Amino acid sequence: MTFFTVVIRSLLRRPMRTGFTLAGISIGIAAVVALVGMSRGFEKSWQVGLKARGTDIVVSNRSGSLTPKPFDASVRDRIKDLPHIAATCDLLVEVTSVEDSDLMILSAREWGGFSWDNLELASGRMPRDAAEEAVVLGQTAAEVLKKKVGDPIQIETKQLKVVGIVRGGALVEDGSIILSLPLLQKILGSPNQINAIDVRVTPSTNEQQLRDLTQQIQQRVPQVRAVTISEHLNHNEGFRLVRAMSWGTSLLALLVGILGVMNTMLMTVFERTHEICVLLALGWTRRRIIRMVLYESALLGLFGGIIGVTLGAIGVRLLGQTPALRGLLQPDLGLPLLGLSVVIALVVGIVSGLYPAWRSSRLMPSVALQAG
Amino acid sequence: MNPSAASAVPLLKAKALTREFDEGQVKALRGVDFSINEGEFVAIAGPSGCGKSTLLQLLGALDQPTSGELFYRGESVPDNPDPAAYRASEIGFIFQAFHLLPTFTALENVQLPMFESYCSRSERRERARELLRLVGLKDRLAHFPSKLSGGERQRVAIARSLANGPSLLLADEPTGNLDSDNAHAVLDLIISLQQEQGRTMVLVTHDPSIAERAGRILRMMDGRIVSDQLVPAESVAANRK
Repeated sequence: MTFFTVVIRSLLRRPMRTGFTLAGISIGIAAVVALVGMSRGFEKSWQVGLKARGTDIVVSNRSGSLTPKPFDASVRDRIKDLPHIAATCDLLVEVTSVEDSDLMILSAREWGGFSWDNLELASGRMPRDAAEEAVVLGQTAAEVLKKKVGDPIQIETKQLKVVGIVRGGALVEDGSIILSLPLLQKILGSPNQINAIDVRVTPSTNEQQLRDLTQQIQQRVPQVRAVTISEHLNHNEGFRLVRAMSWGTSLLALLVGILGVMNTMLMTVFERTHEICVLLALGWTRRRIIRMVLYESALLGLFGGIIGVTLGAIGVRLLGQTPALRGLLQPDLGLPLLGLSVVIALVVGIVSGLYPAWRSSRLMPSVALQAG
Repeated sequence: MNPSAASAVPLLKAKALTREFDEGQVKALRGVDFSINEGEFVAIAGPSGCGKSTLLQLLGALDQPTSGELFYRGESVPDNPDPAAYRASEIGFIFQAFHLLPTFTALENVQLPMFESYCSRSERRERARELLRLVGLKDRLAHFPSKLSGGERQRVAIARSLANGPSLLLADEPTGNLDSDNAHAVLDLIISLQQEQGRTMVLVTHDPSIAERAGRILRMMDGRIVSDQLVPAESVAANRK
């Protein structure tokens, strides 16, 4: 028998209670994994989407929400002659409900712009010209909307036709409804309005030149923000909000987990007052008693963390399959997040055990004899 | 007060020991003096509530006296900075209610005090096995306390009290929860172990017939020692038959 046997035996003494505590902490950790994993995945898929389009700099309105406010297309003319710019592409991107799907990305692109280049036809064809009342769907968007080539599709007040299904090379592209910019501007009744310009730089441009270019763009057009792709995601208020909400909700769930473990450990200590007093009478030091209680709570945290990570990973995959989120979510469940979640659970376990451990170490061993 | 032959430093020495509870409203010990030498078997006898268990707790550093002094081998027990180490290495407790931990087997219960010694895992297991053999339970090693009879449980507790080879055994009504046959057998075992191993033992009892099996009887009444009687060797021998 080792000291660890003593710890394990104590936990197994009340299997139901230990089980419920594990469930509590697991749910907290599952929430961390699911929410943070989804928000990270969301960011990552946008980043991959932008890279797949060959975009280096995004120029958008300063508001920086998920779909920025529109601005006038003439901005492009003011920046296109800056050094290192190889190409630009005007965009009007909306996240909106289309037919039965609540959240669809509507991506209108300058006709002939480079953002069309990475789209690979899976079936059908591309629109013939900027004016054709037609769209192409990313593969996932087609699945979500249950559309095939030739089907009609209602965009705002206008009925358009699906002429092709495309592979975009990234989740965001695959989940989008793609059409020509003039067509969407016409449907929305806002000619010359765009809300982003994708900028592609020359291949020889280095990081410093890229940053210099963003500053030059902003100097020329003060009302816009020009950022590199990675900055775009970091500075985007929409992403920041998603990030804050996912962590906020997770921490709330974790707090519930902490209270659960603390309650269990306090119950354990109260219930085992007699046993702890006997151990003190047998010569166990108060330090060893503290260690015993802390090891128990840490183990609860560790196992709760492992179960929670598993539950969270499974849950988020199932969630990603739901019709409402399909195509928008590709959870980022990398090892760092899973590892961090287990570490958080372990810390939660230890922190929750501190007060009960302190209480247990204050017990007077004479109680054991009096109880006899 | 101590009529036994005094060695240079007694194992235990108490001077004007008092213990009060509830801010002095309850006086459990009202000034106790005695000394106990190495190897002695002393019974503390008296009616319920006379303070004998309180005295035993002070001897085992489970509680602190209100006033007075208590020395173990000349060192103050209440002032010991590490009472846990004192209990772990010097004291073996045997309780009336056994106080075995229910989730551990007999073999494991005996090993519990050994975590405070420097034994390896295998040494702990071997020593516990040996001690359980000594108390006649070599066939009950893997039994949990709930599967043992009262007498067997107290034997496990006796083995546990010997785990770290203590100099002083403190037994608080060790047969109080046993039927007469088991009580007799357990008492024989405790006494034979004490005699064979030359340990000092202080046994608390309210039963005069048990007290008379000790070599010396301290009788208590209302928190004081009212008599200190050496039992003649021949009558001890007769009582132990």
